[in-house]
Amino acid sequence: MKRALFLMYGQPEGGMTNVDRQLGNTGLVDFADLYELDALALPDYAAVFVSMHVDQRYLATHADMIDRYLRQGGTVVANGHIAYPFLRDLTAFTPLRDYNVDDLRVKRQTPHPVWDGVAELELTFRRGVAGFYGRGGHQPPAGATVVHTIGARGLTVDFAYPVGRGRVLFHGGNDLWQFGNAKDTTARIVPQLFEWIYAKG
Amino acid sequence: MTLAVLDGGTYYHHETINGERYRHLFDRVMYVRELTPESLAGVSVLIVPDRINANLLRQHAAMLIDFVQAGHTLIVLGENEAETWVPGVKWSPRPTNFWWWLEKDAQPTQQLVRPEHDLFRHVPFQDTIWHFHGVLTVPRGADALIVVPPDPEGRDGGGALLYDDRVTTRGRLIVSTLDPFYHHGSNFMPATTRFLDGFLVWARDTANGANAKLDSPRRSIERLTEPSN
Repeated sequence: MKRALFLMYGQPEGGMTNVDRQLGNTGLVDFADLYELDALALPDYAAVFVSMHVDQRYLATHADMIDRYLRQGGTVVANGHIAYPFLRDLTAFTPLRDYNVDDLRVKRQTPHPVWDGVAELELTFRRGVAGFYGRGGHQPPAGATVVHTIGARGLTVDFAYPVGRGRVLFHGGNDLWQFGNAKDTTARIVPQLFEWIYAKG
Repeated sequence: MTLAVLDGGTYYHHETINGERYRHLFDRVMYVRELTPESLAGVSVLIVPDRINANLLRQHAAMLIDFVQAGHTLIVLGENEAETWVPGVKWSPRPTNFWWWLEKDAQPTQQLVRPEHDLFRHVPFQDTIWHFHGVLTVPRGADALIVVPPDPEGRDGGGALLYDDRVTTRGRLIVSTLDPFYHHGSNFMPATTRFLDGFLVWARDTANGANAKLDSPRRSIERLTEPSN
């Protein structure tokens, strides 16, 4: 079985032990420094995890490499806000300004296996505080499946879209694996993420 | 005189540095992978924002130390593993309590030590208060600006979240555990935006020589500083 690749970014929270624990200690994840990307054979991996903390400016110089990987059947799971277009079909983040709690409420637009059984309310609030999940949105590319939006303005936070024989799952907020330590229904996200990656035919 | 800032290439560095709110304050923006001694020519104050890739900072350490040893000011914000590359920095991590303000009768533990410091003409003390990731031991002779008491679970004997060190090098080191570039650039936590509103103006004024020099005698909080040998 192919393994998954996590691109490390040289920050304390991005340490292999910490992230591997958040990702469930599956034994399926290889960790490599982002700046060693040129030395990596992406097609060897079932999926590439891209953290919100990566140097997107560098990653965007490898957009062709990522695009080729996707077209050949790869999966990219990316988090954060887009500032540099390392994924060909994505454009810059639009921040929510002057928001209130209702602007931050997460609404599921389309069921998706990664969020199966995950309560929208528990995505919206952590300890009664809203805003951790999404504070703005991205324009999903044509053909994307919109999974979650926030607020009445319907800003898109989560979406998935095909690229050639591959696919992108994009979460426009803090890294999804931060739910790896959760005690509520959001704890389903990380194991279901691996099931989704490896269920691909 | 020039205020420069390092850009780590993340979305939040991009937003904080290049967003409309602060872009006019920086004279020079340097992508961390392209930092060279030549790119630092003419710079008087260099900000290393929070959450720059620490592997790169360690690679650039000699260059950055040369910069401060030339008499310039280096500002190093949080989550940069500063204890591995900045002279004099000692750090004790703490589990981060993001939720202190939800606790019953919550009171922040931060204490303002030097209200007369010129930074606080620009930054109200309350705008420095949010969660923190650990504490710094203040080098002997440096000025602790904001401190917290000892960890209730005994991990440390207390320390600083922000200090001003004019003794360890021939220049000036401003070291903090705070991480405002990340939070402001993520469109989250308004206190971090209010902090940067003042802090970056203070940094620009410092680069321009506009801030008055500290005229009160230096003092330190003995229990927070290294023991003398």
